[in-house]
Amino acid sequence: MNGHEGSERLTSATPRTDIGVADVLPMVRLCGVSKRFVQVLANDRISLSFMPGRIKALLGENGAGKSTLMAMLAGRFKPDAGHMEVAGQPVDFASPREAIAAGIGMVYQHFMLVENMTVAENVLLGQEGGIMLNPTAMRRRVAELAERFGLGIDARARVGDLSMGERQRVEILKLLHRESKILIFDEPTAVLTPVEAESLFAALRAMSAQGKSIVFISHKLEEVLSVADEIAILRRGRIEGEFLASEVESPAELARRMVGRDVVLEIEREAVAPGRLVLDVKHLSGGGLDDVSFDLRRGEILAIVGVAGNGQQQLVEVVCGLEKPRGGQVDILGQDWVNFFQSRAWKGALAWIPEDRAGLATCRGLNLTDNLLLTTRQGFAHGQWLERSRASETAQGLVREHNVQPGNIEAQAWQLSGGNLQKFVLARELYREPRLVVAEQPTQGLDVAATEAVWRRLLEVRKTAGLLLVTGDLAEALQLADRVAVMFRGRIMNQFPVSDAAQVERIGSLMAGLKD
Amino acid sequence: MNLVIRKREKSLGWGVLVVYLVALALALFVCALLLTLSGKSGMGGLAILFRAAFGQGYSLLDSLVKAIPIFLCALGVALSFRMQVWNIGAEGQFALGAVGATWAALTFSGLPGFALMPLMFLCAMACGGAWGLLPAALRLRLGVSEIISSLMLNYIGILLLEYLVFGFWKDPASFGFPMTAEFSSGGQIARIAPGVLGKLHWGLLACPIAGVAYSVFLSRTRLGFELAACGEGERVARYAQLPYAFLVFLVMGLGGALAGLAGSIEISATVGRLQPTVMVGYGYTAIVVAWLARLRPWGIAFTAYLLAAFRVGAEVMQLEMQVPAAIGPIMEGLILLCVLAGQFFLTYSVSLGRAPKPEAACPGGNGAEEARP
Repeated sequence: MNGHEGSERLTSATPRTDIGVADVLPMVRLCGVSKRFVQVLANDRISLSFMPGRIKALLGENGAGKSTLMAMLAGRFKPDAGHMEVAGQPVDFASPREAIAAGIGMVYQHFMLVENMTVAENVLLGQEGGIMLNPTAMRRRVAELAERFGLGIDARARVGDLSMGERQRVEILKLLHRESKILIFDEPTAVLTPVEAESLFAALRAMSAQGKSIVFISHKLEEVLSVADEIAILRRGRIEGEFLASEVESPAELARRMVGRDVVLEIEREAVAPGRLVLDVKHLSGGGLDDVSFDLRRGEILAIVGVAGNGQQQLVEVVCGLEKPRGGQVDILGQDWVNFFQSRAWKGALAWIPEDRAGLATCRGLNLTDNLLLTTRQGFAHGQWLERSRASETAQGLVREHNVQPGNIEAQAWQLSGGNLQKFVLARELYREPRLVVAEQPTQGLDVAATEAVWRRLLEVRKTAGLLLVTGDLAEALQLADRVAVMFRGRIMNQFPVSDAAQVERIGSLMAGLKD
Repeated sequence: MNLVIRKREKSLGWGVLVVYLVALALALFVCALLLTLSGKSGMGGLAILFRAAFGQGYSLLDSLVKAIPIFLCALGVALSFRMQVWNIGAEGQFALGAVGATWAALTFSGLPGFALMPLMFLCAMACGGAWGLLPAALRLRLGVSEIISSLMLNYIGILLLEYLVFGFWKDPASFGFPMTAEFSSGGQIARIAPGVLGKLHWGLLACPIAGVAYSVFLSRTRLGFELAACGEGERVARYAQLPYAFLVFLVMGLGGALAGLAGSIEISATVGRLQPTVMVGYGYTAIVVAWLARLRPWGIAFTAYLLAAFRVGAEVMQLEMQVPAAIGPIMEGLILLCVLAGQFFLTYSVSLGRAPKPEAACPGGNGAEEARP
């Protein structure tokens, strides 16, 4: 796809030496760190160095392993292999407290502040010297700190009265007061207005100029380019490239590098003749969507691709009946939206395979029979009575047919690995014999074998249904889909058949919002 | 060495019983400690407690009588706990049930028992249920936490009961005591066998009926299943198209109705009239019971009996040892805390393990090797 692809294949074992300044000790260093959860390798031999005075962006889609990496830095998980160093000394955090003591500070998306206290009180909470408090001195200390790092804030203000941007500054001040040497920001702009984001970036630069090491986790391309000195791309748990921000020419190039085209798996697909229209979306607008139009026929797979957070979620919620369309027209299986969801049949209609298979598609604490009943209960009910024994037999049959491990239907959902849970969700949703299937990130976090199993099922679905595939994985879209639609800021930038090589080549640009 | 905590893949089996017994023993031990600290004999107190609670035939029957309202209220709150709706209002719903039954008993005092009794139950369940629906509506319409509103409604319910007993319904022949006139014989639940079974009354029958209905509803019906699925959160409910709002109303209404039924049985069988002394906190004990029993009907039956027995025991302790009445609630609280702490071991296994040492060198470093002193 581009010339860099091969050379960017910097394996995690040999980090680039031209990144960072060689004679300065890295603030924090990860050395071949791996973390495995039951079946998924969330982090695969990751080696990264975080240098003082540098802003490093960690770029990756949801599920690429960013949060696992963070959790290890924060002392919440221990790596299975490899180790971490702080200022050249190997460390092994037994608890988050030790990570904080070692100078690692986190700014999470959800702030941890006491709303009824002032800014100064929040910053100094739990860190005051003696028993007696001196409010004036506390305020002065916090105000000085804010001044020094360009974080304009009134130390006397009550946190409950502050905007999200100001609250974030309080979180940062907390870390600065603890003298954290490395500050890690998890999608810090998600809760900010554009103006607030700008002043955050200014503060990040001020902090890095004073020798702090900044880690900026995001999937927003422009931001990363505007603020970072160095960029590391995380994909499927591995560092897929590490380079200076100045080496990147455009957001489009970054998008290409982030989404990747590396084929981890190839699958044979035969075309299925398109049948009747199953989904017809015309000029859908509102709620983050902007004039979205497309249609989908039986036998077809339409992939919606784009960087997460560009309206895919809102689109799925409308199509799946959670949100009413505000503007435009949505027809499903020949009925308009209102009629379809009023008379929604459990069978032969719509099936939805959501991204959050453990929290939305299944109930963690229920066994597989009950989880089968979750969306098929109408099929096992005689009036108010539920035929549990028949449901159990059906669940057993599905588990066997789809090779869900462990094959025990008494197992609770949380006991299944991600891949097996996804196979189960697919089995359940296909049992409903849907004519329209919506699948969101269906193979996110799955290993190759499970990915293949899921892909095969999705291709099979085409015989009886149309499939709307929402994915951040371009390889997946190109493997499975007949057509691709690229979303950016709630709009469909373009849609085209995957056979259109010229357009496929431009997907990266479209994802970054560039029309030509 | 450090502690390694893992989530259990398999349930503990008989270990569950051990955990519960240890927790119970610990709670009683702390109780004895408190007695010793207040200058009484700790072991002596426990001896009195057990003798009074389980020592004699009539105390066993007395406990059973007290267990009836606790069991019914606990079933009611357990229903809402199933779907993570926190109904703390059984006490108020119990009071309203008593008020509803009293209204029926005083208004239709001429009716024979076979007509009056069902009418009383019906009024009690309607009033208790309505009292339960209030927090449900507040939560769904205005987003008010049902924990706060149902708790506050307890006080309003009890005050309403007192207002009526001190006012409109006060028996002129009661010499100023706050109580209504005695119900007609049709409005009183009879004892099963006064000579042999003491105070045990026919209201006991409501327990197996409600218990079986509870089990069947949860395990065999579609609504019961939907209720359990809703307990996993509102988002799942939306995904699976579960009627979340309807189910919140249902569990709060049914829970209130059960507590109301308990209220009507209690006044009709034990005092035969309405008086403020019937409010002794069964509704609060019920919350403890439902939680200790992990919402299972057999567990609720057993725990309701156990806590009722401890109530009987604590009363005797008060009389014989001159300890404050607070010993009853203190004991209940300690048991709850210990069992809740013990339940941690049902979900997680704890073992001693050694953390792996970090490796000394970093492969393929970028200059740090040289820089390290």
